[in-house]
Amino acid sequence: MADPVLAEMVHATGATESRHYAAVKPTIQDYRASWVKLAPFRDGPVNSQRETVNDPAAMTARIKARATELGADMVGICRLQPHMIDLGSEVAHEFVIACCVAEDYEKVTQGPDAVEEEAMRTYAKCTEVATALAASVREMGYPAIAHHNGASEVQAIPIFYQVGLGELGRHGSLINEKFGASFRPGFVTTDLPLVEDQPREFGVQDFCMNCNVCQRNCPGDAIPQDHVITHGIKRWLIDLEKCYPYSRLREEYCHLCVDACPYIVKSHPETYKAFMKERKQVGYKTPKTY
Amino acid sequence: MEKLYVNAIGPDGNVSTVGLFYSQAEAQKIVDLLRANPDRASYRYEIVEAVRHVLSEKDPVRARS
Repeated sequence: MADPVLAEMVHATGATESRHYAAVKPTIQDYRASWVKLAPFRDGPVNSQRETVNDPAAMTARIKARATELGADMVGICRLQPHMIDLGSEVAHEFVIACCVAEDYEKVTQGPDAVEEEAMRTYAKCTEVATALAASVREMGYPAIAHHNGASEVQAIPIFYQVGLGELGRHGSLINEKFGASFRPGFVTTDLPLVEDQPREFGVQDFCMNCNVCQRNCPGDAIPQDHVITHGIKRWLIDLEKCYPYSRLREEYCHLCVDACPYIVKSHPETYKAFMKERKQVGYKTPKTY
Repeated sequence: MEKLYVNAIGPDGNVSTVGLFYSQAEAQKIVDLLRANPDRASYRYEIVEAVRHVLSEKDPVRARS
């Protein structure tokens, strides 16, 4: 296990593997296998006939159209900065293209298995989009590497913030106006000349200061009341020791902090209302299928 | 488990929290990686115990609502 906190907690129970990961259904295993299978294709040969880019704005529009055609619901671009790269890794590219695929929020009323299957389906789709988009860029004669669940050297949250796709919420995930926190990422780093998007702030951090719905629904009480500041941005650091007993040491998937986030209510008012009614019936701070 | 913050202190004195870590060894490993980064040469780093109130505890009033 790469995660030392999880490893210590699993070993303390006398097990060798997280119950959640050991119990996954064949469909979910298939999704996981799909991004492992695509990992060797994240990089590849670059076409020696380089396409000249006279208009980076036109190229940016073309790349975004290609990502959308491949299945991305949102696309953003920014310069790759050191804090976006995993510590100890090196990525020499100038730009990063961030793609996101939205989850089907309607699954929340079908229980944790359906939510998990949807999350894994979305991760698998992000892997496909990033892999194919990187291949398209290499075909234009520019180096490009896909970053996804199968292999990555970049950090999703600072990139998504910088490209203007969302703001960091109390539950530790990025929040978008349209999709709430119900979306997953895939990335391509490249030297293809592009035009940057800009961060957009639409009030999430102020909203999260007073909302607390995710905190009230977290069965492990893992979401803190107070925040820290990182580069001027509020971060509520999730306490993994409290999160993992529900999200990793049980068989069922726990995604409650994201599912309860009210930013989804505008696009899915009825489903959100039904889901929160169910949450109320089970007493909020419990895994919902108890 | 221990709970430790790694803080980066910029040349202007501003404190920026790198993250929450669960052992001295894990926190020190991050600090060593950050110190090895020439882009961050002007930063100082500290490892501090995460104060208890920052990490959410069960609030009996809220739990009843």
